[in-house]
Amino acid sequence: MRLVKEPGSARSGFKDWYLQRLSAVVLAVLLPMPFVVLILVYAGVVDQFGLLDIVDNFVSRLLHTILITALIIHAYMGLKVMIEDYVAAIGWRVTLIGSMLVVMSGFGIWWMAIIWAWGG
Amino acid sequence: MAEMIQLSVFRYDPEKGGKPFMQAYEVPVSGPGMKLLDALNYIKWQLDGTLTYRRSCGEGVCGSDGLNINGINGLACITPIAGLKQPIHVRPLPSMEVIRDLVVDMDHFFDQYRQIQPWLQAVTPMPEHERLQSPAQRAELDGQYECILCGCCTTACPSWWWNGDRFLGPATLLQANRWIVDSRDEAMGDRLDQLEDAFRLYRCHQIMNCMEACPKELNPTAAIDNIKRKILARKS
Repeated sequence: MRLVKEPGSARSGFKDWYLQRLSAVVLAVLLPMPFVVLILVYAGVVDQFGLLDIVDNFVSRLLHTILITALIIHAYMGLKVMIEDYVAAIGWRVTLIGSMLVVMSGFGIWWMAIIWAWGG
Repeated sequence: MAEMIQLSVFRYDPEKGGKPFMQAYEVPVSGPGMKLLDALNYIKWQLDGTLTYRRSCGEGVCGSDGLNINGINGLACITPIAGLKQPIHVRPLPSMEVIRDLVVDMDHFFDQYRQIQPWLQAVTPMPEHERLQSPAQRAELDGQYECILCGCCTTACPSWWWNGDRFLGPATLLQANRWIVDSRDEAMGDRLDQLEDAFRLYRCHQIMNCMEACPKELNPTAAIDNIKRKILARKS
């Protein structure tokens, strides 16, 4: 019998799994909204000032913030799983996941700044 | 003249060296209901005694003869020859080290099985006769206990191919769930503690190859989902 030096459970994984599903539900609800707005614009139902009113609205900004947060969390979790699946070397895994976290966080902060600074 | 079937069988002998290769054989159909194991036995006993494979019960109970048959994992002893495209390509279970021909090294697979401590664990004193279950509690074990640990599901799982050193795989997780749902077992908390891990459990991406491959028609994906739900329930 071969004996394996087994490190046991890291007590991790649940949060990633849960956040990925929770963010998917948020995306399913909120992601169609910008497309609806776009369709309304292209259909001529909403003009430029109407669009600015929508974007400027506090509730819209709040929903926009939730949408971007969910999008970043979902994308991060999904790509993290892919890196864990395909990149075997721990050093590369940590580097790639860390880099992704920095880039995505930066992107999120930049986008939030645009959302909340708009029309300031 | 008897109807003949064509087989192409994976051969590898590390003692002789060289690369693995596929060897062609022609076997007469022995009768209706002939199984793939019958064809392998014919090769072994009549044509080529050097062909090496595992077998034991010959009726889908022991799980010894898990093989990759025309690209799909299954048990040779319960796979009918009729309906298989010829030549029938017979290979060892994928993603396992080959010891010789169709025999693979199952050590790691059984190491993982041992990690889930597959026995009943209870702290309450043993009753005078036995630990009883209601029919409903017993029914919870249906679809769990039938697993024969042939390895067909685990070796069909891409997540196990990629991260088999850490992901426990469908068979082991199905077995873990077998004890989690057992009303007599009192170690569910410890079992969930040991499974809650990004690699051990959550590497399952619900690809569902396991379900397709299982020769006993069990559903390891559902068992894994049940474990995830149990962890969710105790955190919510």
